[in-house]
Amino acid sequence: MKVTYNWLKEYVDFDLSPDQLADLLTMLGLEVEAMDRLGEGFDDVVVALVEEKRQHPNADKLSLCRVNNGSEVLDVVCGAQNFKQGDMVALAQIGAVLPGDFKIKKSKIRGEESCGMLCSEKELGLADESAGIMILPDSGLVLGTPLFSALGLKDTLFEIGLTPNRADCLSAVGIAREIAAKLGLQVRYPDSAVVEGGEPVESVVGVVVEASDLCPRYAARYVSGCKISPSPEWLVKRLNAIGIRSINNVVDITNLVMMELGQPLHAFDCDRLAGKRIVVRRAGEGEPFTTLDGQQRALVSDDLVICDAERPVALAGVMGGLNSEIENTTTCILLESACFKPAAVRKTSKRLGLHTESSHRFERGIDIGGVARALDRAAALIVELAGGTMARGALDVYPGKCEPVSIPFRPERANSLIGIDLAREEILDILTRLECRVVEGAAGIVQVEPPSYRIDIEREIDLIEEVARLNGFDRIPASMPIARITSDRPSRHQQLEKRVRNILVDHGMNEIINFSFTDPGSAGKLMLREDDPRRNAIRLSNPLVDEQSVMRTTLLPGLLETVARNINFRSLDLSLFEMRRVYMPSAGDDMPTEPIFIVGAMTGSRDGDGWSRPNESVDFYDAKGVVEALLELIGVKGASWLSDSVEPYYHPGKSCRIMAGRDQIGSVGEIHPTVQENFGIEKQVFCFELDFEKLLKNSKTGSSITAPSRFPDSTRDIAMLVPDDLQSEKVVECVKGVKAKEIEQIQIFDVYRGKGIPDGYASIAIRIRYRSYERTLTDDEISSIHKKITDSLINKLQVTLR
Amino acid sequence: MREQLEKLKNETLTSIKSAGNVELLQDIRVRMLGRKGELTALMKGLGALSADERPIVGQLVNNVRDEIESALEAALAAAREQVKAERLKSERIDVTLPGRHAASGSKHPVSLIIEEVCEIFAGLGFAVAEGPEIEHDWYNFEALNFPPEHPARDMQDTFFVENNLLLRTHTSPVQIRTMLKQKPPLRIIAPGTVYRCDSDATHSPMFHQIEGLMVDSGITFGDLKGILTVFTNQLFGQKTGVRLRPSFFPFTEPSAEVDIACVICGGKGCRVCKNSGWLEILGAGMVDPEVYRHVNYDAENISGFAFGMGIERIAMLKYGINDMRLLFENDVRFLRQF
Repeated sequence: MKVTYNWLKEYVDFDLSPDQLADLLTMLGLEVEAMDRLGEGFDDVVVALVEEKRQHPNADKLSLCRVNNGSEVLDVVCGAQNFKQGDMVALAQIGAVLPGDFKIKKSKIRGEESCGMLCSEKELGLADESAGIMILPDSGLVLGTPLFSALGLKDTLFEIGLTPNRADCLSAVGIAREIAAKLGLQVRYPDSAVVEGGEPVESVVGVVVEASDLCPRYAARYVSGCKISPSPEWLVKRLNAIGIRSINNVVDITNLVMMELGQPLHAFDCDRLAGKRIVVRRAGEGEPFTTLDGQQRALVSDDLVICDAERPVALAGVMGGLNSEIENTTTCILLESACFKPAAVRKTSKRLGLHTESSHRFERGIDIGGVARALDRAAALIVELAGGTMARGALDVYPGKCEPVSIPFRPERANSLIGIDLAREEILDILTRLECRVVEGAAGIVQVEPPSYRIDIEREIDLIEEVARLNGFDRIPASMPIARITSDRPSRHQQLEKRVRNILVDHGMNEIINFSFTDPGSAGKLMLREDDPRRNAIRLSNPLVDEQSVMRTTLLPGLLETVARNINFRSLDLSLFEMRRVYMPSAGDDMPTEPIFIVGAMTGSRDGDGWSRPNESVDFYDAKGVVEALLELIGVKGASWLSDSVEPYYHPGKSCRIMAGRDQIGSVGEIHPTVQENFGIEKQVFCFELDFEKLLKNSKTGSSITAPSRFPDSTRDIAMLVPDDLQSEKVVECVKGVKAKEIEQIQIFDVYRGKGIPDGYASIAIRIRYRSYERTLTDDEISSIHKKITDSLINKLQVTLR
Repeated sequence: MREQLEKLKNETLTSIKSAGNVELLQDIRVRMLGRKGELTALMKGLGALSADERPIVGQLVNNVRDEIESALEAALAAAREQVKAERLKSERIDVTLPGRHAASGSKHPVSLIIEEVCEIFAGLGFAVAEGPEIEHDWYNFEALNFPPEHPARDMQDTFFVENNLLLRTHTSPVQIRTMLKQKPPLRIIAPGTVYRCDSDATHSPMFHQIEGLMVDSGITFGDLKGILTVFTNQLFGQKTGVRLRPSFFPFTEPSAEVDIACVICGGKGCRVCKNSGWLEILGAGMVDPEVYRHVNYDAENISGFAFGMGIERIAMLKYGINDMRLLFENDVRFLRQF
């Protein structure tokens, strides 16, 4: 909503600067989002008199002027020809800055000194085009006065961001009412006295409202013998100031009154209305209609239309029709002021994508009690500016007259809910200032009737809000609530989520967050099998773009896209993770599920470009290592790593499923080279994926701790040749299988293939640390256990000791 | 024997003195005092002496051994000190080379702010609550007093999914879900992901909010002001000015927008605060009785407040980020700074 300072002053006598007014409005809930000071910074452009004008000696098209600015007479060179000696002009003095950051400096033009510039309206930003300089009226202007003050153009434009409940403030008068209520002043409503003449309106035109459920009130007046012409300057300027283009006097009046009083109006060329009558009805399904903007539109039966005897002439509350618009030849006008149901206007305007000043107001609800006032105001202005005769009386179809609501209100409830302590009289005074009718009722309950334009006030709480608002939010003391203690430790779920995030960050990973919606093609890029449930993603009905049209069922595509994007920016060493929800549809009417998953990706070198360690690339075991650490730290015990039935997006030989008991808790592996290509990544990427809910299920905390042994340890190594496909885990299991309690630790310390090792074999070396809790072990004891181990390895796994 | 001993002692003490390093001194010890050492041999020779002589010579040998031993100890200690001193003198490293450590990771700024805000409210006794992101229209709009076809719905451009489901446009449905499950007193904070179909430099189609809700008996709008003042002071610094101004949300009444004094210019006016000196950071208000009706609370006997804030907005202010898109591009050069 746009309104200017000077305009508001016409309705209420406040004594505030534009800044103070902006602050007052903002603190009333009418947020001033922008202020435009018209004429500001133009104080160096002043009213001046051309005392002498003669030809420039060195240029045919220039003249040399002596210009009086009230305090001195200056030489000014001017290129315009449209003025003469004795004219009052706009002089930009030295130091003035004109729009476009054009600074006026003392200069020499073709050898003659010029101490300023005579300005055109265009140069001052007052018009889009202008021929020659601006000639001022010579009545009563004082030389030297800043031009904008002298012409009354100095003003401040406020752009106010209104909340949808404040339909009553979609007008200058509405905002003036708020200022008046806050300051305890009176509002002067614009003059709406009409001068009627000629025949009674009923004898000329008729109104029938068939769809009275969608149109509770329809009023109209008839003016004949008008002359359509351009609007007077004051009207053009007022509309321009708030960004409305002038069309002609009649259309401008309807717009002006809408901006003044908030009531959208429509003027029909009555001679173009078949049967000179108005029928308000629902549109026929598919009925065609061409709106003022020249667009043909197909209507539906929910649309409310204003028709003449034969066809639609306007889309109620949204836009008029081309077939009945005011033209230069129009002489008879039917002026409409009506009230339409908000939801109906909203539906039509939304469906057609037609959002107008009119629909904006109807959607939010207009003042049904103010319909006649706006009609009279506009009709009177039409007679004033376009001539003609207003028919006697107004048509006003208003079958179910709205009675004011009476709301029971407890002033002490206002105090206790807001946390203030106003006297009863102060509270009631606030409501009175808001033009509410306040009547004391029984048992201290006050009956309050809000004014008809405050359609947002229906309940006691609405009145309480008004008290808080008018009294001022800044006058409410801040207090700390007195509350009962509740027990609210974070849930296990929340604790684990935080813990996992901390652990991954502590392992050098950077957390990323990708959008929850993704490209429907990403399932294919991951080479998911056709029957994979992750291909069945939830679809958005109105996505912004196709690449963000389905809810993701896996976090991997986003992760791989992030890897690719970072590599493109030459960030080559990456260790990223994301812990977020995925979205899986449910059968039937059940809500979709939103399980949390954790994914990680590693690529590039392990140690950056470190000086102290060899620059090695990360591999499978780096990704597995992070997962192992995570599982250990959150208490998921006994995970196993199965290299069968791995996910299709991994390298089949370098990946595995991760199990905890019977639960598959995730997977880890090198990304399949084809998938890598699909995402435009040129290097190996190692990823893991974990199911948070399964981690939560398998995470056990608070296991008991064993005290360390006080006796010395002893270590023995075993180096062996094993078949190449024997998993090292089998070796460890075999050692454990001996079940000697003296085995404290088993460590694989070397794995080697290649030179010196026969084809099809690998060399594995393990170190076993022995220790007893009871005594120092003797060499013989250790040797005997160690032999059992080597025998078992040889017998069960057919290894060869080296 | 006596002379022989004296001679041995003097020779040994001389060689100890001139030895100068640990190895030679160790050699001397072995040569003299070792199992096959000269002095040891002498000791063994004592057996050949008469019973009268034996104690006297024995004493003598012991004295010589003690003297040599202590001389050796002293010389060894000195030699070791010498070695240490030389080591300390010669060993030098470049302390400006980077240390050897595991790469440090980082939390996403959105996570950081969520953690910080939840922590502040945990201190005020607020528990963390959560809800689904794919939500029913009823929870997201109707129960929060957004009737169908109400222009207030235009405040939130909504992504729709079939079956009357939508992507929640705010975290406020968590209020409804919590109140349906629990009776007052209630203090919750609900961080979460929300969606609106809007995308430019200041709007992202996905972003994050934190919702707060407190319901008990006798809660006032002044209490809301108190809690939010404490919160903003904790988050942005002890003396951050806070301003509440009237606004509108269908599910609160009275409703307020909450501004803090601009953290960039301190309230003087700058580009970030559009010269107003204030930054809008959250919306708040007293829970509307209509909402209580939907969750079967008795509005006459309880009262409460709710508030909601955008995490990205706070992150941008706290970290001086000027483009919201940076938050979701996941460029590690950006992420590693957190």
